[in-house]
Amino acid sequence: MPQIFDRSSNALARMSLVLTGLIVIALGVTLDQLQRSPWVTRQGQRADQPIPFSHEHHVQGLGLQCQYCHTTVEKSSYAGIPPTRTCMNCHAQIWTNAQLLQPVRQSWATGQSIPWVRVHDLPDFVYFNHAIHVNKGIGCETCHGRVDQMPLMYAQNTLQMEWCLDCHRNPVKNLRPASEIYNMAWKSPSDDHPVWCAAGDSKTGVPTAQSVDCTTKNPATPGGAEMAAMDMATPPVGVQAGGLGAAAIPATLHFEKFTSQKQLGRFLVVHYKIRNSRDLMSCEVCHR
Amino acid sequence: MSGDGNHVTTNGVGNAKGITVKEQNQGAASEPMTLDAVRAELKNVKGKKLWRSLDELADTPDFQAAVEKEFPSAAQEWVDPVSRRGFLRLMGASMALAGLAGCTKQPTERIYPYVKAPEDLVLGKPMYFATAQPTPVGGTPLLIKSSEFRPIKVDGNPEHAYNHGSSDVFAQGSLLDMYDPDRSKHVLYRGETREWAEFVEAYQQAVAASKDGTGIYFLSETITSPTLARQWKAVQAAYPKATLVQYDPAIAGTWAERGIDTQYDLSAADVLVSLDADFLSSASYPGFHKLVRDYANRRKQPEKGMNRLYSIESSTSTTGMKAEHRLGLRASEVPAFVAELAKAVGVAGVNPPSYQWTGEQQAFLAALAKDLKANAGKSAILPGLYQDPVVADLALAMNQALGNVGKTVYVSSETVLPLPSSQVDDLKALVADLNAGKVNWLVILNANPIYSVPVDMNFASAFNRAKMVVHLGSHVDETGQVAPWHINSAHYLESWSDVRCYDGTVSIVQPMIEPLYNGRSAHDMFQALLNQPMLSAYEAVRETWKPVIQGDFEEGWRKSLHDGWVANTAFNNPGSAKTGKAAEKSAKAAAGFKGSIPAPSPKEAFEVIFRPDPNVYDGRYNNVGWLQELPKPITNLSWDNAAIVSGSTLTKLGLEEDDIVEISVGNGRVKAPVVVAPGHPDNSATVYLGYGREFAGRVGSGQGFNAYLVRNTWGMLQSTGGMRKLDGKWGVAITKSHYQDHRPSIFGGPGENTNHSLEGDEALGPRGIIRYATLEDFKANPNFAHEGDGRETPSLDTSLFPNWQYNENAWAMSIDMNSCVGCNACIVSCYAENNIAVVGKQQVRIGRNMQWIRIDTYFEGDLAAPRAHFQPMLCQQCENAPCEQVCPVGATVHSAEGLNLMVYNRCVGTRYCSNNCPYKVRRFNFLLYSDYETESLKLMRNPDVTVRSRGVMEKCSYCVQRIQEAKITADIENRPIRDGEIQTACQQACPASAITFGNRNDKTSRVAQLQAQPRSYQVLADQNTRPRTMYVAEVLNPNSELEATPVEVAPAKG
Repeated sequence: MPQIFDRSSNALARMSLVLTGLIVIALGVTLDQLQRSPWVTRQGQRADQPIPFSHEHHVQGLGLQCQYCHTTVEKSSYAGIPPTRTCMNCHAQIWTNAQLLQPVRQSWATGQSIPWVRVHDLPDFVYFNHAIHVNKGIGCETCHGRVDQMPLMYAQNTLQMEWCLDCHRNPVKNLRPASEIYNMAWKSPSDDHPVWCAAGDSKTGVPTAQSVDCTTKNPATPGGAEMAAMDMATPPVGVQAGGLGAAAIPATLHFEKFTSQKQLGRFLVVHYKIRNSRDLMSCEVCHR
Repeated sequence: MSGDGNHVTTNGVGNAKGITVKEQNQGAASEPMTLDAVRAELKNVKGKKLWRSLDELADTPDFQAAVEKEFPSAAQEWVDPVSRRGFLRLMGASMALAGLAGCTKQPTERIYPYVKAPEDLVLGKPMYFATAQPTPVGGTPLLIKSSEFRPIKVDGNPEHAYNHGSSDVFAQGSLLDMYDPDRSKHVLYRGETREWAEFVEAYQQAVAASKDGTGIYFLSETITSPTLARQWKAVQAAYPKATLVQYDPAIAGTWAERGIDTQYDLSAADVLVSLDADFLSSASYPGFHKLVRDYANRRKQPEKGMNRLYSIESSTSTTGMKAEHRLGLRASEVPAFVAELAKAVGVAGVNPPSYQWTGEQQAFLAALAKDLKANAGKSAILPGLYQDPVVADLALAMNQALGNVGKTVYVSSETVLPLPSSQVDDLKALVADLNAGKVNWLVILNANPIYSVPVDMNFASAFNRAKMVVHLGSHVDETGQVAPWHINSAHYLESWSDVRCYDGTVSIVQPMIEPLYNGRSAHDMFQALLNQPMLSAYEAVRETWKPVIQGDFEEGWRKSLHDGWVANTAFNNPGSAKTGKAAEKSAKAAAGFKGSIPAPSPKEAFEVIFRPDPNVYDGRYNNVGWLQELPKPITNLSWDNAAIVSGSTLTKLGLEEDDIVEISVGNGRVKAPVVVAPGHPDNSATVYLGYGREFAGRVGSGQGFNAYLVRNTWGMLQSTGGMRKLDGKWGVAITKSHYQDHRPSIFGGPGENTNHSLEGDEALGPRGIIRYATLEDFKANPNFAHEGDGRETPSLDTSLFPNWQYNENAWAMSIDMNSCVGCNACIVSCYAENNIAVVGKQQVRIGRNMQWIRIDTYFEGDLAAPRAHFQPMLCQQCENAPCEQVCPVGATVHSAEGLNLMVYNRCVGTRYCSNNCPYKVRRFNFLLYSDYETESLKLMRNPDVTVRSRGVMEKCSYCVQRIQEAKITADIENRPIRDGEIQTACQQACPASAITFGNRNDKTSRVAQLQAQPRSYQVLADQNTRPRTMYVAEVLNPNSELEATPVEVAPAKG
């Protein structure tokens, strides 16, 4: 019986083995990349909304505060999508004939909801809670990006589990003072832009979000104390009563200066009583 | 391979004999057993032996086979060619999807915000509203959890003095009843959709045409609402000849139809006697919640004294099984025995019929009478609801003679039910009028007479003589099918009403949701005939209580709605004026007993006892999947009712369990499966009402048999009849032979290894799953639960795995075995809280029911006179968990607080964890059990718990969603979690407060203190699993004159 394969087949056989391996690896890498790609995560995609609502215009242009619409962000797991009535608070009087706002007026007239497309969509087996994040020093911008610069809303981040865990492993890098939660332009402290914070020792038992007072103005400089008091989440009593008077800062408040996110984060972890990473990464935190 | 000497085999009896191939395929849920083997087994045993099913006791080969399978007969699909293909298809699909599940792109979702948001609504935060559930024996005060104004959980009102937050299976199940997709959705006239207004026009004209109401008849369920009673009186004033008949099959012919005016305060009673009163097992007994709580509170700290319960009963109930001393009597013997007892405790004027009592019965009587006299003023005698009403009279007379009235027993001048009536007599009169052609309009209010009226009335033929019939009902049921007009009724969670509860307190029933299908209530039906026909039920209820609520009405009304009761409406309340009727009544009782006592039927007569079903009641909850699937107490039967008999009756009739029998009473005949309840009196069978529905809906239709077909007006509660064997097997689904573990018999271990309950051997010896002592033994040796081989907990360094550190919270649970009465409320509560799926009868038969918590019932002692121990079994949250170590994908992991977590999206369904769990508490979704399609069920789900799909393992999570919620709230408020802040769903429902949950690291917490007491023990601690759930050992308080443990009773008796 003659040989079916001559010697050159050996090379082919070796090559096909190598090729098979490469194909498997390539397939793996492709799937891995695909899984993380915006095609799957919809990161950065601007959905086709019934109304081209501009956060940029409303937040940066008009200066609406986040909670004007997302009312329950500090109280509940849901931040809340505003009812049509919230839109009509203004648009009953301005832009009353704008074609773009026709769906709003229609919703108001018919009682049918505006069918927004969900931009930040977690899987149904994930239980995210806004209130605890907002109360413990995670700003809106940390997850949602510069919403004030988004003419059309999109997801800044993947919202995938690895992204969540990245912070739950080490929350230090993202914490900010609770008074700065809604500040879209918040910058981590640096040598040029230090942050001064004071922890109120007498404040045990008060909500965590009020347990720390921070300022970007040096409280030690002349007038700084008053400015600091204005910055604070809970201004001292004297400020409320008598405006910027002499009773600005209680003597007990001891301000520390922070020049890096790491320093500030560590300080806030202690005073906001952030749970340790083992607790934060436990499965039941998000899966029930 | 259990090679020990005490092992009885029965040589393969019953493997193929007389069983069709189909039956064999259906698996191991129903192996036949030989009673001879059972007796032989029992005889050889010295000391105490515990068992869960007769097959286990006999240790039949079939039982062995069942034990060796993790989930019995999972192979069914492979044998049946049709479903085998389906199985392969499912498997193929799941394999294809398994790898890609993580890569799926989420579908586009939309957000539909409110147009105008309701005030005070915080999306994601539930709100709680008080209301009450009307039942034929009074109201159950409730607090409803409402998510975006959808009721999603029904629980007791924690501030109400009657139930302190506890609930029961009916209250829990009523949630699913409201969301039942088979509810009637329209007003129908001869099958065609009509408007309510069209009906009202025809109805008003007809009634007005009658001038004085002649020929207008109302057939209502028992009226519980004072407002409805007031409206009826107004109708009666306008139309004096209109007739109201109340009929509720569950209370017709019982003393409850007299209105319920007697209350018991068991907290002050040392000796309790149940005269066939099943007051511990279900809310069908008036005052269930209060009675259970008071009973259990007197057993929680035996060192401070505890009560003693005697039970005389005609069926096997959890009350009898919890009793220190139990006497099984045939139903007709009970009144005579009670009369003897009354005579013995000194009630004047009692003439018991002469009857041949056995020596055992006489001894019981003598000891009981002596104990009662010794505890005069500190005892309570409770009459059975399903006994001749004379028993209630005798009980009151005895309580009076013993001086209990005013101390443990209170008789009020008012009744819980506003319109007491003689239901059977009224119904007879109605049927006579129907047959005489006197009935022009018959208006049926939430009753289903075509189904539930006793068979000898021939109601269906009488019904056709009515010129017009209106049926107000939640479903187009048996009556709705034949009535020309059908009005869809509103559920109690959708409508305004009011109800009195056991102690007389009035609760306003307020709607939790706009009626889903625009239903109407009985209030609308009466109001339509009055001067203001459009007056809403809301206005009518307000009008009723305007004179009662003191002070500013609006304020008082809002307070009543908020609190869940109207202040100062309880009976015997010093603040409210009451007549001297109560005193008059007790004086009458003291003057001597005058009633006549029915004589027992001959000893050879076969008795059939009728009881409402513990799960579906009189049939009204028949379409509630949770309640259908719930294993009934004692028998662990789900999805069916059965003729429940004793072991020796079974032998006498030549039957095996699950055989089909024919029950005959009078002219009625019905086919039923037969099931054994240990301790059931001989020569009688208990049948539960409420099954055999034709038009119940997709869940209930066709389940079980209709016991109303053998119920007669002359024997509403019990009657003599016959039972004979027919060919074939019924195929009942009994869960007690599930959850066995095979390893002890294969690998050996301490003990005899012939028994498979949970694991290892069963007795009080090594491993003791059930540990108990008598009060005397406990006082002598408080540490009894920890003494003996194999009962020491292994030290912390026994494990190869490093020990966990729990720095902050260590969640733990304590379950008081002395308090648990096996009422099943916890199981249904868990269904609602954790979105547990209903799997259907065939899946239950092969061991796939999904309940996260079960009540293991361990019988002890003789077949004819056992005692039972109820052990709620749920995930034990082991610190050294066997499940965690074997999961290949990390789907079940340990949390920092010691919870065994289940991560559903990681689970690939290997089932290793379940295989390795010694407690058998894990449940696997073999098929797609969760209903993702039905719209109304979506509204009901708990939004905080994932709905599990096919191929995923699940188990008790200690209600981790509640733990997380409490942690987040506490963290935001910057404080530690308070003790008692987190309640698990089972704990919340428990009427006996048997379950306590909390943080074990906090030494001041209730759970830590309970777990620290010497009676607290861990089940299978010798396995070194270190369970977080601990059980508090039972202490019994027997009368030394009667034997402490049940004696062997000759099985040939009767």
